[in-house]
Parts: sequence; structure tokens; C-alpha cells
Amino acid sequence: MMSRPLASEHPTGPFYRTLPPPTMHEAALTAGVRIEPGTTYGFFTDTTVCIGCKSCEAACKQWNQNPMDDFGFKGTSYDNTGELSATTWRHVAFVETRIDTNGDHRRDRTRWTFMSDVCKHCENAGCMEACPTGAIIRTEFGTVLIQQDVCNGCAYCVPSCPFGVITLAEEQDRKAHKCTLCYDRMKVGMEPACAKACPTDSIQFGPVTELRERARERLRFLHSRGRREAYLYGVPDAPGAAGGVGSLNCFFLLTERPEVYNLPPLPELPSRRAGAGFLTATAAALFWGAVTTAMILAPRREQREGGRQ
Amino acid sequence: MMADGKGWLYAPAGLKDGPLPTHYEPVESPLINRIYPAQQTNPAAKLFHRPDNLYHAPGDPAYPYVITTYRLTEHHTGGVMTRWLPWLAELQPHGFVEISPELAAEKGIQHGEWVTLTTARGEVEARAVVTDRMLPLSFDGRVIHQIGMPWHFGYKGIARGDVANTLTSIVEDPNSRIHEGKVFTCNIRAGRKEVRA
Repeated sequence: MMSRPLASEHPTGPFYRTLPPPTMHEAALTAGVRIEPGTTYGFFTDTTVCIGCKSCEAACKQWNQNPMDDFGFKGTSYDNTGELSATTWRHVAFVETRIDTNGDHRRDRTRWTFMSDVCKHCENAGCMEACPTGAIIRTEFGTVLIQQDVCNGCAYCVPSCPFGVITLAEEQDRKAHKCTLCYDRMKVGMEPACAKACPTDSIQFGPVTELRERARERLRFLHSRGRREAYLYGVPDAPGAAGGVGSLNCFFLLTERPEVYNLPPLPELPSRRAGAGFLTATAAALFWGAVTTAMILAPRREQREGGRQ
Repeated sequence: MMADGKGWLYAPAGLKDGPLPTHYEPVESPLINRIYPAQQTNPAAKLFHRPDNLYHAPGDPAYPYVITTYRLTEHHTGGVMTRWLPWLAELQPHGFVEISPELAAEKGIQHGEWVTLTTARGEVEARAVVTDRMLPLSFDGRVIHQIGMPWHFGYKGIARGDVANTLTSIVEDPNSRIHEGKVFTCNIRAGRKEVRA
């Protein structure tokens, strides 16, 4: 039987001719942006227009072919997803916030606060710092990507993420997985699946610098309409952009404290604590080393006793 | 909607219960009709008096709670399509009913535990979601509790739960013949339904 060469060995072969040409810029039509390497892209998630439809969750799972996971009734309002994981890269939180009704029992007592959470693609990513194999890289689109063929499943990145985004796919390949910002779609000029599926444009995709401008404009509008509690999370000099993480490429417009959405108010890179740990370990090693040396060099008992006689 | 593409409040022809819209109580209601005390329900509604389709009388003390049924955003067209698709099934994995904290306290129902709903037609069980979003209604100094039950659950598929249609009665709207599954009365208790031998 004739051995067939792999398609990748034939970049001019029929397989490649069937791919859409790289000059296609679908995102220019759907998000008003041409995706070019060398620019940093991200998401601006405006929680004030999120309606909790979970379209982003379903679109993400469908495009990335992620399996159903953690199946079960959770009783946390309409949220049965719970948290981000190796196989869930978008999670919509449903927070029931109490409203002051002034004692009027006919008025609604709660309001739903939604937030679609995702990997933040940090400026200084804790996962990338911790990765010993170099599997986690910064792509040409400024995103943080786990190369699945390089990852060896050591899970160092799991506790190194200040936002708890990454886990290992325990039931599949036991490797770390997280949001890729749809790297495969961006390569061919398409905006990420969740942003495209979002019916209210709560999730907006684009170059981070442009998104920040858009977010500040939206914030000014909300403030002018009396929503003084609105603020940005993850832009420079704002909550979320702290502890060495730098700014977040995927940032949020929030109306409640970060903890309400299960976001850390002051995220911190674990490597920041490594210095103190290293010093403590060195001091301990020196101390116990000195004790051991002293014990070895100290005169023996029989020598001491023999000296007394 | 009429031939001119608009909806008419005054529709002199074409409707079986026209020409003007008005208010009738649903066939099953805990209250009497305040607008027409002598005409509780729509006289043109199609009723089906059968032993397996018993109706509750207005204000029946055995079935004191108002129940409404609805889809959830995650539900795509019908239950068959939703329940078998893993990506949708995991978003709403199990049938539940939503009740207010006041009703839960009255009936000793814990959040996330099983409850059983009964009507003259049948009995279903579901998980209880106790939430402030459900408001007890006040009429004539009486508190009337409402219960919300999402449907599209069934005994087969990935996302399972009892079938809401077990509870509903068949009452048809005179014009479109859509049946009145949106509002009826029921009773609720903590615990699972009894398994009949």
C-alpha cells in the first residue's frame, strides 16, 4: 500500500487549497475590526447589558468542541455551570441582588446581575510564568495560549492563575486547557465565537486600546445617567489590574464589588511571593546547616569525659 | 392582526369572543372575577369535561396556589431538541419549580430539595428553587402564592425532570385553540411523590 503524506507536508496540496484564503476578514463585518498579527486583542465585557442567555457558553463549547462537564442541578439561581474549567471557557454568573423596596411588598425584591466570565489574558500572566515546558505562550494577537502538544499536564499553571481560570481536563487528556480567545478563528480573520454569538454586544471584541476607549465612553454615559456605581475592572489603574498582573486584555464593566462576581479585588501573581519564600528557605537551610556542622565538629562525649578523668 | 397589518382593539368580525377585549378569570383561579361577578370565565372557551381532565372550581381550597409554566432561555424549540443536546442540557440539567421564601417557610420546603405538585389531573416532583424573585400576591387582604414551573423536561434525554403537562388541564382559547397551560391552580408539599404500585 502506498504511504500517504500528511497534508501538512504539502503546503501547496489540495488540502490547503480548500481552506479559506487568509485575506478573508469576517471580523471586519461582524466586529468592525480587521485582525492583524502584532496587535493585542481582547474582550470588553459590559455586564450592564448582559441578559444571561448563556449564548456565549454554548457558542464557545460548540466552536471548541468542548464536552458537557460537571453536569447537575446546582440551585444557584439559573446558573448550573458553576465555574470556569478546562472544558468550560465561558461562564455566566447569575447573582440575585436585593433591592430596597421601601417596604412596598408589590415591588420586586431582587434584581439579576449577570456576568460572563472568561480567561483575562493578563498582561503578565501567572500561568505563563509558572509553565516549565514553555507550552504557554504569548501569541501574535497578544493572547495567552496553551500549546496542547507541548503541555505535559504538570498543573503548575492551575494554582498560578490569580483568577482560577485553568484546570486540567481530568476526564480527557489530563492536560491544562483554557480560553484561546479563539486563536484558530483569529488566524483566519474571524472574531471569537462568544463575542459573535452575544446578542446584546455585552461581549465586545477588538484591539485592547480601542476597547478601553469604548469602555471609558460607556462608563461616562452610565455615570451621566446616574449609574454612579459602575466602574471598569482590569484596565490600567483600576481594580483587578494589581499585584503584578498588569492590565487585563479581557476586562469588565461592573456595577457591584468584584467579590460579588467571584473576581478577586486585588489579584496577585504567585511569583511575587516566591522571593519571600526563597529567602525563608535559604535562611532555614543556612541555620540547619550550621546546627549540623556544629554537631559534627563538637567534641564527642567520651572525649569530654576522658578529658575529665 | 388584521388585513391592514395592525392589531385592532375593536374587531367587529372574525373573533369568537369579540368585538372588544375584556377580562375574564382563567378557568382555574383562586379569585372571583371582579369585573363580571356573574361571568367568571370566558364563555366561549372550549372545555373538555372528561374524567381525566377534571377542573378545579374557582377558589378551591384543595388547590390554593397559582402556578404558571414557561420555557427557559436555554430551551431550544421543544424539550426533545433541548434535552438531548449536551451543551444545552448541562445549562439547565434538571426540572425545578420556583417558589417564594414565604411559601417555602409555610410548607417547610428547603432550597434545592424535592417538592411535589398536585392537581386533579396528576402529580409531579421537582427540585425547589426558593428565590426572592417570586413575589407573593395580595388580593382583598389575602396572600396568594404563585409557583413557577419551567417545562421542557421529561423522563428521557440528558436533562430530565417530570413533565409539566401532567399538571395542566385542557382548556382551549376560542380563537386560536391554544390551551390554557400558562395559568392554573395547584397544591404543593415538601418531599418526593409517592410511587404507586
